[in-house]
Amino acid sequence: MVVAGRRKSIAFFIALGAGLILVTLLLYIGWVLLNWRHGILLFLGVILTLVLIGGVVLNTIFLVREIRRNAQHDAFINAVTHELKTPVASIRLYLETLQKRSVEETKRQEFYRIMLDDSDRLLATIEQILRTGRIGHSSRVASSPVDLGSVVEHCLDRARKLHHLEQGSLEYQPGPALTVLGDPDEVGAAVSNLIDNAVKYSGHDVKVKVETSEVDGRFATVRVSDKGPGIPKAELKQIFKRFYRAPGPLATRVKGTGLGLYIVRSVAKRHGGRAWAESDGPGRGSTFVLELPIAPRGLK
Amino acid sequence: MSKVLVVEDESHLAEGLRFNLEAEGYDVRVVETGEAALEAVSNGFDVLVLDVMLPGKDGFSVMSELRGKGQFIPTLMLTARNHPEDVLKGFEAGADDYLTKPFDLNILIARIRGLLRRKAWLTAAVNPAPPPKDRFVFGDKSVEFDTLQLRVGENVFPLTLMEANVLRYLIEHEGKPVSRKNMLENVWGLHEDTDTRAIDNFIVRLRRYLENDPSRPKHLLTVRGVGYRFVK
Repeated sequence: MVVAGRRKSIAFFIALGAGLILVTLLLYIGWVLLNWRHGILLFLGVILTLVLIGGVVLNTIFLVREIRRNAQHDAFINAVTHELKTPVASIRLYLETLQKRSVEETKRQEFYRIMLDDSDRLLATIEQILRTGRIGHSSRVASSPVDLGSVVEHCLDRARKLHHLEQGSLEYQPGPALTVLGDPDEVGAAVSNLIDNAVKYSGHDVKVKVETSEVDGRFATVRVSDKGPGIPKAELKQIFKRFYRAPGPLATRVKGTGLGLYIVRSVAKRHGGRAWAESDGPGRGSTFVLELPIAPRGLK
Repeated sequence: MSKVLVVEDESHLAEGLRFNLEAEGYDVRVVETGEAALEAVSNGFDVLVLDVMLPGKDGFSVMSELRGKGQFIPTLMLTARNHPEDVLKGFEAGADDYLTKPFDLNILIARIRGLLRRKAWLTAAVNPAPPPKDRFVFGDKSVEFDTLQLRVGENVFPLTLMEANVLRYLIEHEGKPVSRKNMLENVWGLHEDTDTRAIDNFIVRLRRYLENDPSRPKHLLTVRGVGYRFVK
């Protein structure tokens, strides 16, 4: 219903823009018919008409963009509401259960484990939101030498615990020892986001591979590959935008805030690196790459 | 036992709900998607607990699809969204009740009970209970007036309509003497001065079924000069 409403208003503003351009052109034709003898007036008319048309086009583009951004913002608020409230609802439900009923010991232990999982999930969402705020506000990044290998290993441990994964589902192929310059916390968050995404989108059968390697002696890369649903070509760049979530049934199956890849890209940029996605298309898995400049030799 | 269908894709919440509803004595089934809910719902569930944010079809469209198909199972929608427009959308889709997450466990249970109660009332209003059986029981004997049967211990005697009517008339005036004339008027509808000894034949037959010793009756007693009297 909301989506249809938005499409309607986008169509309306585009039609309005086209209509205004048409009116301007008609007025200009009238102007030419009236003043075809006066060269200077004709010239002024052309300039004025072009300015008017340019203004209308700009205005229309701006409006449509704003409507789209609004839509994304609404979707983000919905997603965040869900991501924050669901674990709270679950923790509350189990606490009330323990308070209201006598629960046998094994069940009780299971309930504790579930509540801990939910509080981890809640914390992860909160950290994600806070990090987005921090990244948006300052462009300075604390720089100290960061051992990429140990950051990645730390992230892998965290992911195994968080998603209850076996060793085999999350494989690590370490490359040479690499040191980058930056904020270990941010680099860790970026790598964790890539791993979390790969695990989340894999569904039940998780087969994720993480590799680190060196490119041209100048860059260190972390590649995270999954055998998940893959990404259509048109979405490869879009998915790094803030709040953006690929449309379709996948977005409702896999819960998220639309902040993860935005954080990855922002962290890469702040460190003078890049982040991108590769995929052979839907159903063929995808690979996410984080590329960061290697620290100059003197600083290692 | 009432059957509850829970549609919730967050496994932690779903299991918590299952544990509690089972503890309340309901038969619970959990499904994770809207499509699975549409398929499962026809299996005689009494209440549907429906999450809104589901993979695939969301709760709103599942709800309106069900109502569109004429499936009027009492439904409680459960969702993290609490804007008035979301609540209204839920009711518009056909939900009977709406609860936002996080919810209070006791309130959730009370609302489910409320839905079940209303369903029970509605069912009672649509299919009123059958009228109580038209029978009279005394000792080890019973008279079933609707099937015209007299049960004495293990034995079953079929009655004729007239025998049953005589017996009913006597039972209705239990303990009081009833004259032969009254019986003729009220059971047979005869007002003429007829020979009333026909009635005696009925009594003899009834005594044969009813009394352990027909010559010394305990239930159908003769009242000298008047008629008969029934005692338990």
